Amino acid sequence: MAQHQVNYLKDGGLPVALTTIDKVVNWGRSNSIWALTYGLACCGIEMMASGASRYDFDRFGTIFRASPRQAELMVVAGTLTKKHAEFIRRLYDQMTEPKWVISMGSCANTGGMFNTYATVQGVDRVIPVDLYLPGCAPRPETLQYAVLLLQQKIRKESASRAQKPKRLM
Amino acid sequence: MQQANRLRPFFENITFDRDDNELILNFGPQHPSAHGQLRLMLHLQQEQITKAHPDIGYLHRGMEKMAENMIYNEFMPTTDRMDYIASSSNNYGFALAVEKLIGLDVPRRAKVIRMMLLETNRLMSHLFWLATTALDIGAMTVFLFAFREREYLMDLIEDYCGARLTHAAIRIGGVPLDLPDNFIADLRKFLDKLPENIKDYEDLLDTNRIWLMRMENVGVISTEMALSWGCSGVMLRASGVEWDIRKEEPYELYDEVDFNVPVSDKGDNYARYKLYMAEMRESAKILYQVIDMYEGTEPALMAHAPQYISAPKIDIMTQNYSLMQHFVLVTQGMRPPVGEVYIATESPKGELGFYINSQGGAYPYRLKLRAPSFWHTGILTDLLPGHYIPDVVSIIGTTNIVFGEVDR
Amino acid sequence: MRAYTPKDDVQKKPYYTDRYWVAPQVAKSDVSEDAVFAADLEAIKAKFDVLDAYIQVGQMVVVINAVDNFSVIEMMKNVLAYNQLSEMSAIDWLASEGKFEIFYQMLSMSKRKRVRIKCKIGEKESIQSVEKLFRSADWSEREMYDMFGVVVNNHPFMKRILMPDDWEGFPLRKTYPLQGDEFAQWYEVDKIFGKEAREIIGPENRDPARIDRYDTERFARLGHEVPHGTDISQGEPDTPLCYQENDGVFMIEKFDAEKSVVISDRHR
Repeated sequence: MAQHQVNYLKDGGLPVALTTIDKVVNWGRSNSIWALTYGLACCGIEMMASGASRYDFDRFGTIFRASPRQAELMVVAGTLTKKHAEFIRRLYDQMTEPKWVISMGSCANTGGMFNTYATVQGVDRVIPVDLYLPGCAPRPETLQYAVLLLQQKIRKESASRAQKPKRLM
Repeated sequence: MQQANRLRPFFENITFDRDDNELILNFGPQHPSAHGQLRLMLHLQQEQITKAHPDIGYLHRGMEKMAENMIYNEFMPTTDRMDYIASSSNNYGFALAVEKLIGLDVPRRAKVIRMMLLETNRLMSHLFWLATTALDIGAMTVFLFAFREREYLMDLIEDYCGARLTHAAIRIGGVPLDLPDNFIADLRKFLDKLPENIKDYEDLLDTNRIWLMRMENVGVISTEMALSWGCSGVMLRASGVEWDIRKEEPYELYDEVDFNVPVSDKGDNYARYKLYMAEMRESAKILYQVIDMYEGTEPALMAHAPQYISAPKIDIMTQNYSLMQHFVLVTQGMRPPVGEVYIATESPKGELGFYINSQGGAYPYRLKLRAPSFWHTGILTDLLPGHYIPDVVSIIGTTNIVFGEVDR
Repeated sequence: MRAYTPKDDVQKKPYYTDRYWVAPQVAKSDVSEDAVFAADLEAIKAKFDVLDAYIQVGQMVVVINAVDNFSVIEMMKNVLAYNQLSEMSAIDWLASEGKFEIFYQMLSMSKRKRVRIKCKIGEKESIQSVEKLFRSADWSEREMYDMFGVVVNNHPFMKRILMPDDWEGFPLRKTYPLQGDEFAQWYEVDKIFGKEAREIIGPENRDPARIDRYDTERFARLGHEVPHGTDISQGEPDTPLCYQENDGVFMIEKFDAEKSVVISDRHR
């Protein structure tokens, strides 16, 4: 019978890593950002494309979930209209903390080309936004870069930070 | 920490205060398989739907109002955002309507390029339809396969106009650019592979037991119902009416190409699925013929109509009068004659119509977009009662609605 | 003195008009030129008043009295085989003649012909629903009511369709500005946070071209990222695009551009 003997003091050290809770928690959070499918218009199609075969979002640990309870990132992809505004706020309220929002595309950022009576001029009038993505519609690469930037942002934050009231109420 | 606002959370999806065992289920407006922002209020008796009430308007952005405040060329990119799965077909519908209004004919090469764009868009749209519907029903593999092929088409479109989704690749009076060098070779390469791919999808789905149970005899639309609800495109042809605007009222070069219009008289989801697959093959057939037409056309891309259309770039840069005319057309806009026009084209979804009422000004007096999906959503009112909850998803899937054009 | 702006039509106007310019007309031809249209028109004329009829861009336009709309369309459907109502809506002529023009765009698949039936009604008048003949009119008439405020009689469910139920005003009327009235501009704030939050959230920025390049509260540029709110009026540092922090991330391999492979033939 083979005997496996590992001398931890000699061959590369103990299987122990010293780190802080912050780093471990943020490492986990930043590498498994589950996004709520919030495809509203054209950008939603690009969001789907970034989850599909060529762009393959899963490799960054981002999986699209259909329920706000299971999601921590809301990618607002598309035009938000006045009729829809209350629903986006309601779903945002239903997401569990910690939560982040990426506003994808010009329409979500500022209303974009739809400078009309029916369009909310930027989702940041309704929910607080962490990252704005330019483009109409942004390419899937852009969304992936935004998620990587968001990961960096998450890793910089304190994991146990008290949730400060954000700008919107 | 919940932040206080006026929208107090409550069980908004379910109401319990009915005595007659009727449950009212709210579906949407943000449901992953609603294909956009569709909200359905479903009255249920056990699991069976007794009454359906679609609620739309969650993507209403006021495009018709925008059109009244824009010069004609300025409105072109807005049409992209209608049916954003196949943008060029909207661009084309609008361009054709304005061309008919001002009585313009387009050079042959522009027509060929337009045909190519229209048919690649049809393929893109049908592939996207297949992907999302299959995903809704649970066939993840088909979703990944179809998106793979769609990405190659997007590459082609990107080579042509630089955009993946919102093309704005067609201008009033022609097309802005000639085909890039590798376009035809790449398109051929794609088309040669396409029958194999379609066969892959069909092998996965055609006789799949789950697929058949979700599709066969579900969502049957009778001929009368389809006509009365103003259905068009595949929705109409699946119900036994042979009506394809490309065949019946040919525009561009559709009268020169040879293609079939697949029709079915079943009217159920499965018939619609088969028609989409057949239409993809027909599109490929059209594209092969159009590729051959491209050779030997004159290089002109834009119609010559100085009153309405800017001169080619080289003239603008070298000739004073062309520059002046271009300046006027860009700053003030073209002024089409007084009159009205309704032009219907066969978009991948169905009959896409543009009604333009011009009063001789630079802005349209009234522009009405006739989007096929609007009625394809309306038919859910009559179609859903009698079905079960899981059928809702597959029916919405096969109606192929896109909310950019339902709500405009 | 403030420039006079007409109140009955607040849509965008061209900044330059040539007063000697006479707009050309899209050619109208006589109905007798087309045998099918001529026969159809005769059949309509036999029973109803036809105010005007002509062919424009290949389609017949028939102008009728608004009271006849249901019976004319019933006849079109049952007798003349126009089996689809492709589209119907209204046009706002309130500013010039105080009327709405309502058009019904019809299609006959057996004859391959399209006809447009038009009629005019006053602002406070209502029109008969054709929903009994074509179910598609159900939603079109609701849309027409939503956008113009044209009330349709005998409609089963005359409510707004595109705008929310509690919306004020009819967006496609010429008196309604493109960017909405005050109610529209504060709609989502009032609804979600209440009127008292208006001051905190502030008015909408409706100027699409407003960009302040030194504003680092709201804008950032790739390659020149600075912390939120930094003063960059004295110049800004270059920050290279980076997918990860420089010192790496725990347990994650760092992206190395030199080791990555670029696929030359994307078509396999």
